[in-house]
Order: sequence, then structure tokens, then C-alpha cells
Amino acid sequence: MLYYSKPLKTVLNVLTVLFCVIYLFPIYLILTNSFKSRAEMYENMVALPSSFSLQYYSSALEKMNFFTSLKNSLILTIVSIAIIVIFASMTAWMFVRSKNKLSVILFDLLVATMLIPFQTIMMPLMQEMNWIGNNLGIQMTDTIPGLLFMYLGFGAGMGVFLYHGFVSSIPVSLEEAATIDGCNTWKTFWRIVFPMLKPTTMTVIILDVIWIWNDYLLPSLTLKSTANRTIPISTAKFFGQYTISWNEAMAALVVTIIPVVIFYLACQKYIVEGVAAGAVKG
Amino acid sequence: MKIGKGWYALFTAPLMIVFMIVVVIPFIIGIGYSFFEWDGLAKHAATFVGFRNYGEVFKDQQFLNATVRTTIFTLITVVTVNLFGIIFALVVTTKLKVRNVARTMLFMPYLIGGLILGYIWKSVFQEFFLSIDWGNWLTDPVKSIVAMVVVTTWQLAGYVMIVYITGIMAIPADVLEAAQVDGASYMQTLFRVKFPMLMPSFTICLFLSLSNCFKIYDVNISLTGVGPNYQSEMFSLNIYNEIFSLSNFGYGQAKAIIFFLIIAIITLIQVSITKKREVAL
Amino acid sequence: MKKTGKVLAAVLIMAMVMSLMTGCGAGKKSGKITIFQSKTEIMTDLNQLAKDYTAETGVEVEVWETTGDNYYSDLKTGLSTQAGATLFSLQPGAESIEMADYLADLSGLSFVNKIGAGMADEINGKVVGIPYTVEGFGLVYNKNMVDAASIATTGDLINYLKTSEADNPLGLSQEDYFLIAHILNAPFAVQADPQGYLDAVLNGSERMADNDAFIEFAELMEAIRESCTNPVDITYDNNCGDFATGKTAMIHQGNWCTGMFADYNVDFDMSLAPVPVTGNKKISVSVPIAWYVNTDATEEEQKLAKDFLEWLYTSETGKTYMMDKFNFIPVVDGMKNNNLDPINQAVSEAVISGNTIPWVMSNWPAGIVTTDLAPITKEFFTTDMSGIELVDKLNDAFVAAAK
Repeated sequence: MLYYSKPLKTVLNVLTVLFCVIYLFPIYLILTNSFKSRAEMYENMVALPSSFSLQYYSSALEKMNFFTSLKNSLILTIVSIAIIVIFASMTAWMFVRSKNKLSVILFDLLVATMLIPFQTIMMPLMQEMNWIGNNLGIQMTDTIPGLLFMYLGFGAGMGVFLYHGFVSSIPVSLEEAATIDGCNTWKTFWRIVFPMLKPTTMTVIILDVIWIWNDYLLPSLTLKSTANRTIPISTAKFFGQYTISWNEAMAALVVTIIPVVIFYLACQKYIVEGVAAGAVKG
Repeated sequence: MKIGKGWYALFTAPLMIVFMIVVVIPFIIGIGYSFFEWDGLAKHAATFVGFRNYGEVFKDQQFLNATVRTTIFTLITVVTVNLFGIIFALVVTTKLKVRNVARTMLFMPYLIGGLILGYIWKSVFQEFFLSIDWGNWLTDPVKSIVAMVVVTTWQLAGYVMIVYITGIMAIPADVLEAAQVDGASYMQTLFRVKFPMLMPSFTICLFLSLSNCFKIYDVNISLTGVGPNYQSEMFSLNIYNEIFSLSNFGYGQAKAIIFFLIIAIITLIQVSITKKREVAL
Repeated sequence: MKKTGKVLAAVLIMAMVMSLMTGCGAGKKSGKITIFQSKTEIMTDLNQLAKDYTAETGVEVEVWETTGDNYYSDLKTGLSTQAGATLFSLQPGAESIEMADYLADLSGLSFVNKIGAGMADEINGKVVGIPYTVEGFGLVYNKNMVDAASIATTGDLINYLKTSEADNPLGLSQEDYFLIAHILNAPFAVQADPQGYLDAVLNGSERMADNDAFIEFAELMEAIRESCTNPVDITYDNNCGDFATGKTAMIHQGNWCTGMFADYNVDFDMSLAPVPVTGNKKISVSVPIAWYVNTDATEEEQKLAKDFLEWLYTSETGKTYMMDKFNFIPVVDGMKNNNLDPINQAVSEAVISGNTIPWVMSNWPAGIVTTDLAPITKEFFTTDMSGIELVDKLNDAFVAAAK
């Protein structure tokens, strides 16, 4: 690490913070306008609101049926990510360690499909899911488990891709040692390999949390019932084709990202610790 | 290390089956539709037209323009996103006091998804810029693309930063110490030691930003839309309008397949180039 | 032991997911209808109405959510995959014709013969669409700044634009429909046979540039570019804000925009005037959106949906919602809305006196406004293209889209 002189350090600290503040200006706009009436927003979008009354927050929360949506979003995000992490890490590790043709083909396929724009497969996907519901008796649409299944499929590409890169960089010797000690492949993976993948696991979790938490299109196609709605779907009503209820939409957005920010702050500590711990052991 | 076939299947089959059902089969059905003329409604008959849709795509000047535009946009944005991403990652992995705050703040834009962001930026590029006499950027053919580059960079730089941070943290401390003992300057350490060891992160970030930029949709529709004389229209928006506004489902799918092939070729080239440069540990 | 615990947890989660998935196969339909509709403004009240309806009849009503922009593609995906709602909304015209195979016959509803003339959506002689309301658009003007009586021709209007002292004499805004669709409706609608004229344009036997109404339209658009704030620089929100605060003398808008003025202290009277191409004195009024019943729903569900419509249009509770909560202009005999604002009042009076021209734009080729007309018009407003060139380009787009 580099060592800076004290005044230089102060300057760098100040500059960094200054840059961040400018960088977050659009977010300031969202915050400040969540307190303004339409007329006030029209008068001046940038100024601080005349009052910090929470009226738009309370009306937004009520219209969104907030707690039901929050519960659904939480379940969906947590479980999807758990299964993506479990299955993607297993698959990626296996692909790296058994370098046969099949692994290469499947890996390339996974990566390639990350490039498909969702809009182009949404209609066939829904046809297929309804077909499964009608012919195999497994309800895939309008159920949270059905959506979890789809998220696992859509998350597979990036999950495997990220793990694949990291697994390639960890030495195989530890695993061999474990095998000699009598661990089978399952145990070797979960006891030796998976803990070492922690930094990537954190990356996968962070990137996927935001994707699934904010995702609108896929849930809007599958989750129709009031009881199943996620937060992004329940905020849709603030967006008319032209008439947008800005204050409520922005209030809803602020409330929506607070859990993610908290989550991220909690994780941040964990990433640093996790990596540091790994380094000490290694 | 030898791993039995049974283990191989146990580890990979569950995910692969789900993946096939959710992504690959619909994609194949989509390819099937590209050979038909169809409006997307199940009750209306689809007519098999062979490769005619594909032939039409290459005569569709509006789509070809969108192709070139999206490619240029992507190339520029991938550079800016990664440049900012790596700078951010380097700053927040220093020992600066504000590093943790900065990390959160820089990542924040990515937390806010969706259209509302496009609308907020729209007021910046339109109202604010008009008020300081910079003109409306969103109706200018070049500046509207620049505006999209700015917004996309703003959103994605924090995203790739996360991956770069993971990479930087994984560089063993002794390697850096050795460099310092040898009297390497900051720049030397950066280019000779850190960057080569960050190659896997580069592979990942370039790929992630490349695919995200090619697929740009939300920012396009909320910020500029199609624009005067289609000057701001990107791939995804063009395909979306073809399928859902104009109801040319088969033709839209043909466009999507070609679009997919183009990105696939470009990104696979990118991945194979950067993969080769990765340093084995 | 800790590691084994993790493995166990993983297996448990897998098992849980699998069991949840198989556990959800059971059917659930027992007197329930689903509603999917695009007017997000009434969403909150509609949800309340659904609850009241269930309390009254025991039939469960579920309202699905959407944003205004995603509605049509969501609806299409749903219908095409046999997963559409029982009751949904469409714009009568190009949209309902495209979806005709999915629209159930509603001729049997008791109030059908009480719907205003020409307002029910009929396809092949059957009533398939029940109108929500009517909407009308034209020049919404500030009475302190504009003397509507003095603007009887396009020449008068252009003259006003050139001499007005307002910051912005006439505001259009950048959104596709507000930029071009609504204002372009006028020259189509003033033709002797609007639908016949549109057909002739689409098959190429008439050129818009040869028609007086469109020549005047071209001149008007040039005058707007010359004398008004460039529409591509203004959003709908700001356009309405400028009007409400007296900076803009008139805006080309409809009765839906009055909700936008609610937060402002509007200190002037306003009204609605026609776009005076070829001396036109009528405003463009039509049914923007109507209810349709999905033929793919089961017989029983279709029956329930029809019962719901029956209730909505004939019961006291239903009527109260339509008039007082949704604030609709009545379209069925026997309904009356007593608290209409001036613009809605103007539309309502125009309907009663028959002083209206149709929305020819509903029959334009589907999707053309967004994919072609708006980009062409934006080009017009950012270059020095002439008005006639604009009309020609629009004409070419119509012909190309009709193919």
C-alpha cells in the first residue's frame, strides 16, 4: 500500500467525498421531489421541499399494500439467490474441474444466453410455462415457486460465469488433499471449495439482489394475484401513460431501496472480512 | 483430479435442466417463430415464410442504422464504464478514511433500477441544460447518444466496481509488498502487478458491461425514445416496437436472432482475447 | 459439523422449493373474475370498488396491475398464452379489431341500447366493447389571454400565434400523442367522410398534401415551430404547469389534463376550443377506452364478467363510482355527473349537442404513432423541413404501414 502525507490525505478524502456528492445528485432529486406537490416540483425541481411532510409516503405505502409486497419481494429475493448460489457454484466448479467437451459447450451456452434480450423470449417463455401448467399440472405462473424456478434459470448464466472465473484461479491442490483424506466429491466441494468461493458468492449475491429486487418485467408477466405482488409491481399504478404521480412514485422508490441499501451496508463489512480471513488462512 | 460421472451429473444436472426449460427452450421456440409471419396472437394463423424475414432484415435501413448506432454506443460505453469502475475500485481499496462511505455512494446508482431514473436524467439533459443555454441534448443526434453513454456509465460503473474490488482484494499482499521492496512506483505497481493479476476481473467486467450495453432498453426508452428521425433508436427498442407496437412477431424475432448473433460473436471474441491474457496462479 | 449443517440447509431449501412447486397445482376458481385495464388513474378506486362488489355479491374480483406503457404488450402476451384476464380494456378501433377473436359478444347486456349513439364498439354487428367514458381534445385555453370567438380559421390562429404576448402562445409537448397524434386528427376528422378519406390515404389513391385541411395543418405546424416554444423541449408535466401558471396561453390537450392542475392555484377561467382547420368548429371527441370480455375465459367466468359490467353500469353503487370517483363523463342514459370541471363540461356539452368530430386516429394502423409519426414530427421540429414535406413524410408512413 502507498503511504501519503497527511495534508495530501485530507485533500484526497475531501475530493472523493465531493465527487460522490455530485455523483449522487440525481438521487438527491428523487429524495427531494418525493416531498413535493406537482406544482412545487414544477416551480423548482432542485430546491429543497417547503415541508418534509410524509403525506406522499403514507399514501404511496397504502396504495402499494406495502407489507404484503415487501414480504413477497423478500421471499422471492432471498430464496432465488440462495438457490442460484448453491446450484451455480456447484455447476461452475464441476465445469472447471472436469474439462470435457460437454462442460465447454454448456458453459459457452450459459454465457451466450446472457446476451438474449428478455423481451424476445418472454412470449415463448409464457407459452411454455402455461403449457406446463395445463398439461403437467405444475402451476408455474402466478405462483412464487414458479417464479423462483424461472429466476434460477435466468440467474444461471451470470452465476456460473462469475464462479467459473474465480474457481479457475484457486489451486486444485487443497481439493486433492481433501480427497486423499477421504472426502467424497460432495464433501470436498462444500467443506473446502465453497468457503473459498466466498468473495465471489458475495459478488453474486450483491448483483443478483438488485436485479431481482428491482425486476419488473418477469414478475409482471407471471404474478397477477394481489396476494403475490412484489414491490415493483405494486408501484406500477403510479405510472400512467402520461400522468405520472411523481411524488408517490419517488416516495415508493425511496422506500423500496432502503432495504437494499441496508443490506448492502451489512454485506460490505462482510466482503472485506471474508476476503481478509481467506487471505490469512491461505 | 478424477471425478466420477455420477458426481458430474449430480452437480450440474439440476441447474442445467432448469436453465434449458427457462432459457434455452423459449429461445429455440423464438428461433422457430422467426421463420413465420405472425402477429403474436395465438388465435391468428402463422404463415411459414422460410428465410424471408431474415432477407428483409438486411434491407431494413432503420434496423441497420440502429445496429451501427448500438455498436458505437456499446464500444464507447464499455470503455467509460470500466475506466470509471476500475478508478472507483482503486480509490475505495486505498486506506482513505472515506473509502467505505465512498464505496456505498458510488454503488448507489445501480440500486435504483427502472424507468424513473431515465425520467430524472431527462430533466437534467433537457430542462437544466436548456436553462443554462446548452441546448436540449436529447434531440441532438450526437449529444443524445452521449447522454445515454453518461447515464449508462453512471449506472454501471458502480456495478463493475464491485467485481473489481473483489479482484483487487484477492491480490496477495506479499506480491504488492515485494513490488514495494523493489522500489516500484505507484504507476509501475498498478500496470505491472495489479492489472495483470486483475485479468480475470477484466474478462468478467468487460463481458458484463458489453452485454448490458448491447441490450440497453430502459435508458433508451425513458431518456430519448426513438428520437427525431429515429436518430436515437437502439437495437432492443427497435425489436420491441417491431414485436409489440407493429405486431410483426416473426419479423421481430428474426431481428432478435440476428441481434443475438452479432453480440455473441463480439463478446465471444472479447472473452477469448482477455481469457488468454489471464495469469494463472 | 458446521459444514454438514450448511449442506443440510441446502438440501432442505431444495426440498422446500420442490414441495412448494408441486403443492400449488390445485385449482382455485370459485366465483372469481380478473380485471386488467390500462387506466391507471382509477386503479385505487377500482380496487375499492372490487372490494365493495365482493361484499355485495360474494364474487371475488381481482384487479391486475400495470403501468400505462406496458399495458398493451402485457395484455397481448397474456391473451396469446391463454392467461389473459376475464375482463380487460382496449382502445376501440385498430386495437379491438386486431383482438377481435378474443372479444365476447356483449349485445345481451341490458343497458346496451342506452349507450350513446356510435359509442359502443361494434364488430361484425355485435357489441363487443362497453365505453368507459368519452374524452375530447382541442385547444385548452386561458380565457384571460385568448378570445376564442376571434379564432375561427387557421389564418386567425396563426395570426394569434404571431402576435400573442404570452411566453408561449400554443403549447404542444414531446410525448408521441401530444406532439402529433391528437393535432393530426383534426385534418382527418374534418373530411366529409373521414374513414373513407383515411382508407384512400392508406391505399395511396389520395395524397394528404393535395387536401386543403392538410395544407392548413402544414401552415399551422410551421407557425408553431416559428412562434412557440419548441414542443420537443417540453414535457407534458411542464406544458401543463406552464398553462396553469399563465405562461402558456393555450395547450393542445384534452379533458384528462385537468387532473394535472389540481395542485396549482389556477386563477383564471379556461375552456376548450376547436382546432380551426378549414373553419372547423367542433372538438375531437370519442371513446378512448372500452371494456371487453375475454372469449378464452370459461363460460362461467364470462357470465360473471358480464354480471359485473351490468352491475357497474346499472346499480347505484356502480354508477356512483363511475361518476363521482372515476369522474367519467356519462355515456349511458340515466347517468349524470354534476361536478364536472369546465373542460369536462365542455366535452360533455359537445357530446349532447352533437358538436363533435371523431377520433380518426383510433383507426390508424396500430403502432404507427410511436414508430413513425412521432420520429418524423420530431425531425420537423429540429430541422427546417417545410410543413408540406412533413405532411408528405407522414403520408408515406401511413402508406408503408398499411402494407
